[in-house]
Amino acid sequence: MDSGKVKFFLGEVLRNFTRNAGMQATAIGTVAMTIVLLGAFLFVHQALAGLGNNLLNQIEISVYFKSDVSSAQEDALRTALAHDPRIASTQFVPKKQGLTELSAETHGSIDASSLLTQNPLPDKLRVWVHDPQGVAAMADELQTRPGVDKVFYPQDVVARLLTLGAVLRRLGIGVIALFLIVAGVIISNTIRLTVFARRREISIMQLVGATNMYIRAPFICEGLLDGIFGSLIAVLILVVARYALWPKLLLALPWIQLNASPIDGPVLVAQLVAAGGAIGVVASWISVGRHLRT
Amino acid sequence: MISLRNVSLVYQNGVRALDNVTLEIGKGDFVFLVGHSGTGKSSLLRLLYHEQLPSNGEITVDGIRVERLRRSRVPALRRHLGVVFQDFKLLSDKTVWENVAFAMQVTGAHTKDVMRQVPRALDLVGLAHKSRMYPGELSGGEQQRTAIARALVNNPKILLCDEPTGNLDPSNTTEIMELLLRINLKGTTVLVATHNQAVVDRMRRRVVRLEDGRIVTDEERGYYYLGLGQGQILSG
Repeated sequence: MDSGKVKFFLGEVLRNFTRNAGMQATAIGTVAMTIVLLGAFLFVHQALAGLGNNLLNQIEISVYFKSDVSSAQEDALRTALAHDPRIASTQFVPKKQGLTELSAETHGSIDASSLLTQNPLPDKLRVWVHDPQGVAAMADELQTRPGVDKVFYPQDVVARLLTLGAVLRRLGIGVIALFLIVAGVIISNTIRLTVFARRREISIMQLVGATNMYIRAPFICEGLLDGIFGSLIAVLILVVARYALWPKLLLALPWIQLNASPIDGPVLVAQLVAAGGAIGVVASWISVGRHLRT
Repeated sequence: MISLRNVSLVYQNGVRALDNVTLEIGKGDFVFLVGHSGTGKSSLLRLLYHEQLPSNGEITVDGIRVERLRRSRVPALRRHLGVVFQDFKLLSDKTVWENVAFAMQVTGAHTKDVMRQVPRALDLVGLAHKSRMYPGELSGGEQQRTAIARALVNNPKILLCDEPTGNLDPSNTTEIMELLLRINLKGTTVLVATHNQAVVDRMRRRVVRLEDGRIVTDEERGYYYLGLGQGQILSG
């Protein structure tokens, strides 16, 4: 590798970057703001999605056995479910325990033992599945098992939570795309201005036989730097905001089970910076390309 | 070295800049392209370095069929050509050295070639002692010499000059013309578009005269105006 070539190239990039410092600052600032908004949105989005998932994970399927069920049939079902990968956990509630629970739920106002000579409750199996989407299918399947009388689950709640999840996903994709496009347009316009400011230099490069790739490269780097600096600043703001606001948020919204650290995960940081850089590259590629064609 | 056959150029607004031009320029020739402003001199030069494509005809430059050239091959053509303009086209924030080196660096030249070629080009135009100065600190003649050094630094076989002395006073004009002649003597084919009558009449080189996009005269050792000796003045 020719170190002189590298030095010349980096020198050109740095010179252009610093010469249009005001313009670059504007681009970086705007990208940072866009990505802060994006990050804040992702935070709310994750919190809501997490909330929905928490609720969904608590959904239980209640399996009531027939009164004449044999304990062999009950054991067979419990063993089968224990080996089913879709099942998160199960809890067997014998009829006697069921009565005690009922009594506890009514704060002792029903004293079953004094009213009843016989326990009317069936044996019950509580089932939790891993994937909330599979609740309905699992319920249908359980219904067909020998010895099973009825299967219940909060059908309404499950349907609503699943819809909420789907809406959040679509909304998320839409809003993220929108933010990325906005950042891209801003970077693209900045690069177009710098291209315009350097049109004389570009025309000389073309005149002496520089290839389009060679002309393009410094601008691409410029866009990349805009995107990366912008998103780094945004990440910094987001991390600070998260540590400053998180405890207050927990106090203000105790009823929301927020996930522990949805924002400062290194993955999200890497994603935001990579997104920023990628937008920069694409946006500058397009705006220089437009200039080179004409 | 340069060949145009039945070349016409009609701009989109309908203006016919060149009309059925046929011209042969041999290796090592020195040719003046003369005529009033708007007669197609600059258009002809632009065709040679693929800044403009002809509406009709064939153009060959150093064995390359220019009008058929794919866009991606244009840089390769331009590395065979040096081009000099009336307005110098120097970068004001780069020194003389950097301006000349720029032409090599942006074509991906090796640093050791840059270090060897740039001083050579600056020596040739007599600006080695001003290599650290900026264009704004130079006279018009020196700026044009910098531009010529830049055009020559890649050792082109052909040098195209579009009104190279248009912005210069007579003494600088003489200086530049002598430089172009020296370059020509080293074997470079030189094509100069100009409407400077004094220069053309003094140098007595091949003169190709354009009028309304057509070649009207083509004389070895010619004058600016056909058949006129020095000292005869024709108005208009």
